[in-house]
Amino acid sequence: MNSRRAFLRGLASAAVRPGTEPAAPAPPPEPEPEPGRAPLSEAELDRYSRQLVLPEWSEAAQVALREAAVLVIGAGALGSPVATYLAGAGVGRIGIADDDEVAVSNLHRQHLHFTPDVGVPKAASAAAKLAFLNPEILVEPYQVRFEPANAAALVEGQDLVVDCSDSFETRYAVNAACCAAGIPLVEGGVVGLGGLVMAIRPGETACYRCAFPEPPPPGAAPSCAEAGVLGPAAGVIGSLQALEAIRLLAGLPGEAAGGFLEVDLARQTFVRVSVARRPACPDCNPL
Amino acid sequence: MAARTLDITGLTCPMTWVRTKLELERLAPGDELTVLCPEGEALENVPGSAREAGHRVAVEGRIVHIVRA
Repeated sequence: MNSRRAFLRGLASAAVRPGTEPAAPAPPPEPEPEPGRAPLSEAELDRYSRQLVLPEWSEAAQVALREAAVLVIGAGALGSPVATYLAGAGVGRIGIADDDEVAVSNLHRQHLHFTPDVGVPKAASAAAKLAFLNPEILVEPYQVRFEPANAAALVEGQDLVVDCSDSFETRYAVNAACCAAGIPLVEGGVVGLGGLVMAIRPGETACYRCAFPEPPPPGAAPSCAEAGVLGPAAGVIGSLQALEAIRLLAGLPGEAAGGFLEVDLARQTFVRVSVARRPACPDCNPL
Repeated sequence: MAARTLDITGLTCPMTWVRTKLELERLAPGDELTVLCPEGEALENVPGSAREAGHRVAVEGRIVHIVRA
């Protein structure tokens, strides 16, 4: 576990210094220790009491969150609500990957960053806030862009990945890496007043590429920089992603796997679109 | 059939039900949990929540008997 963290930290720091030698190969992985299943402490009972009281929730669900490692890709408009809710809910280990720095134009929709953070790496800014929010958990910032070259290393050891990136290129790379590693994934995207959320259990339910076999042609899909986005719309989509992530981690029924949820906040509509796995899907077919 | 007791007299809502609920999760179906409740809303909420969760409930004064479903 520690060697993996050290490796990932090394990878992250190598990635922010262009021109340096690539990181040394990872040492052989240590055998995973049995996850601790200790009952909840008094402090945990107190902190999580308003979710423990839910009929749908249980001590087992809370312990499952505590023992989980989740990678959040992107610390922006979607990553802010996702990481906030996962940290608050008690996910034990949260990695946040983002190579960008906070800009003043981010602040209307990226609620983990404040005006004094302008110029600070988003991963570090987000991790600092999450450590205040929940000091009981481990938050690991990776100042790195998720791309095919580092995808396998970043998703290795994760129990779940939440994709909060803002490009189709990254989404397809995340989907391919999660399918290859068999790691559940929650996809999301937002633009303007609408967006999409999709929970994926690789090998069991349709993956992102099953639903969207090809990225839109260059220029066809506006980025949020071009089209704009309202902060609360990103908050809705990110909150839905966080909910799906918690559902998958705790094994609660009813997740959006097997299709996606299309949200149009201009019309106030939520449409669930069922998607079957595609036998010819290059990402999830080999499973 | 096992039986356990739980004293929640020092707690307030929602911890009264949280404690009871977690204790019930540790029991097997048919096991009985005897809960000593504080006066007040817990005496309404704890038996009510237990019934809503499908357990069998009997109340004697401040003592709530719950048989796990």
